[in-house]
Amino acid sequence: MNTIVKVPVYLFVAVLSLLALIPFYMMIVMGTYVSEDLYTGLKLLPGNYLIQNFKSIMEQNFFLFYWNSLYVSVLNTFGAVFISALTGFAFAKYNFKGKKTLYYFILGTLMIPAQLGLIGFVVEMRTLGLANTLYPLIIGGLANAFGVFWMTQYISGSVPNEIIESGRLDGCSDLGIFFRIVVPVIRPAVITLFLLFFLWSWNNYLTPLVLINKESLYTIPLAISTLGSEYRTDYSARILALAIATIPILILFGFGSKHLIRGLVGGSIKG
Amino acid sequence: MMHWNSKKLVPYALITPYFLLYLLFSLFPILFSLTLSFTSWDGITTKTFVGFKNYIQIFTKDPLFYKSILNTMLIIVITIPLEIVFGLLLAVFLKDFFGKSRSVFQLINFFPYITTPVAIGIIFQIMFDWKTGTVNLIVEKLGGHAVNWLGTATPARIVVIIIAAWVSYGYKMVLFLSGLSTIPEELYESAKIDGAKWIHSFFYITLPMLKPIMIFVVITSIINGFKLFDEPQLLFQTASQPIGGPDHAAMTVVIRYYEVAFQNFQFGYGSAIAYSLFIIIAIFSFLSLKVMNRGEEA
Repeated sequence: MNTIVKVPVYLFVAVLSLLALIPFYMMIVMGTYVSEDLYTGLKLLPGNYLIQNFKSIMEQNFFLFYWNSLYVSVLNTFGAVFISALTGFAFAKYNFKGKKTLYYFILGTLMIPAQLGLIGFVVEMRTLGLANTLYPLIIGGLANAFGVFWMTQYISGSVPNEIIESGRLDGCSDLGIFFRIVVPVIRPAVITLFLLFFLWSWNNYLTPLVLINKESLYTIPLAISTLGSEYRTDYSARILALAIATIPILILFGFGSKHLIRGLVGGSIKG
Repeated sequence: MMHWNSKKLVPYALITPYFLLYLLFSLFPILFSLTLSFTSWDGITTKTFVGFKNYIQIFTKDPLFYKSILNTMLIIVITIPLEIVFGLLLAVFLKDFFGKSRSVFQLINFFPYITTPVAIGIIFQIMFDWKTGTVNLIVEKLGGHAVNWLGTATPARIVVIIIAAWVSYGYKMVLFLSGLSTIPEELYESAKIDGAKWIHSFFYITLPMLKPIMIFVVITSIINGFKLFDEPQLLFQTASQPIGGPDHAAMTVVIRYYEVAFQNFQFGYGSAIAYSLFIIIAIFSFLSLKVMNRGEEA
C-alpha cells in the first residue's frame, strides 16, 4: 500500500483515538486539583491535591458504594452467564418438543426495551418487600435473551456433537457433560458475555435510581450522581471518585478485549 | 439423531431456570405494566380503570410526548450514520493497515463505551461549561464567541448528539470487526490478482459482505437509540439545567417516561408512555428491516 493512502488512514485513526482518550485524561488530571482551581483555565498537567481528594472520598463512604456495586455486579453477572450457557446448551444440543417456538420466543423478546416493564417491576419488588434492598438489582437481569441467543449460536458452532456423544458413552451425566466438556470449549464466549454483562450491571443507573433511596445501598453510579448535588463544591473529589470507579472496568477490558473480539467473532453476529 | 433423546425431560430441566426467571421478573412486570396503562394510579391509592384514556391523551394532548419523540428521532437520525461511518472505517482501517498495534487502538476506541454514563455526563458538563469549559476556551482562542452549550436549545442538542455518537462508535467498531473476520480472505486475494485497488475491494467485497451485520447494527441502534436516558439526564442534572435540557430540547422519550412515572408518580400514564414507545420502536424496526431487505432484491 502506498504512503498517499496511508497518511489519511493513520491520521483518521490517530484523531479518533485522541478524541476517545481526551475525556479520560482530563478526568484523571482534574482529580488531582482543588475544586476552585478547576475553574481557572485549562489544566493539562496533574496537580498536587490527589491525597486530599482521596481523603474526602473516603469520608463520603465511597468504599461502601464500591462494595455494593461489586456485590450486585458479580452475583448478577455470574448468574446471568451461567443461565445463558445452560439454556444455550439445551437449545444447541438437544431436540425437544416446542424447541423452535421457545427459541423464537426468546429472540422476539430481544426487541422489547427493558424499560417497558420497569413500573411493573418496581411495584412487584415493593409488594415482595424487596424495595430498598440490593436483590432486585441482582435478580433483574438474570434471564438475558441476548445471552441465550448468543450462547446457542456459539455452542452449536463450536462444540462438536461427537465429543458430547463420547462423553455420554463414558457414562457422563448431562450436567457432567455441560461442566466438563461444554464449558471448557466455550470459554471465549463465557469471557465475552461475562465482560459485557459485568459492564452493563456495573454501569446500570436507571434501575437503582427508581428502586433504591437508602444511601447505604447506593451503587456507584447512583452515589456519584446523587451525592453530586449535596457536595456540589467538591467537584474534584467527585471526579477522582469517577476515575476510581472507571479504572477496574478499564483493566478488566484491557485484559479481556482480545477475548471480547474473538468471542464476538466466534459467536452469532455473523447474521 | 442423538440417542440420548430418550431422556426427554433433561432439556426442559436445563431451560427451566431461564423461563422461570423470565416469567417472574420480566414477563410478569411487562404484562402488569400493560394493565396499569389502562388505569390512573399513583402507586399508593386505589387504581381507577380509565380504558384508553391515557393513550388518547398521549397521542392527542401531550405536546411533550411528541417533542420527546421528535428529539429522540433527531438524535437517532444523526448519530446512527455517524457511528456507522466512524465505526466501520475504523474497523476496516485497523484490519487492513495495522498489525500488532491494532489491539491497542481497538481498546482505546472502545473506552468511551465502557465508561460509566455518570462519568460521561459529568466530564462533558465540565468540558462544555459556558464560562470555564475547555471547549469554549478553544473556541475563543480560535477567535470565536463562547457558546452557552448546555443552556440553549440547539447547542444542547448538539452536545447530546456528540456524546451519543462518541459513546458508541467503538462498540460499532467491534461489531464490524467481528463481521469483517467472517469474510473469506480468498475473495480479497483473487480481487488483488485481478488488479483491484483497496478502494474497489472495499466497495465491491467488504460492504456487500457486511450486509447481515449492517442490518443487525442498524436495528439494534434504533432500539438502543430510543432508550437513550443516562447521558442526557446526567449531563443536564450536573449542569443545573431543567430535566431534558433547556426548553426540553434534549428530552428523550425515556427521560419523559422517567419524569412522569418516577417524579410525578403517574404509574398508569407512565406505563402508557412505555407502551406507546414500544409500538413506535416496533414500527421503525419493521420499516428499516423492510427497506434494507428491499435493497438486496434490487
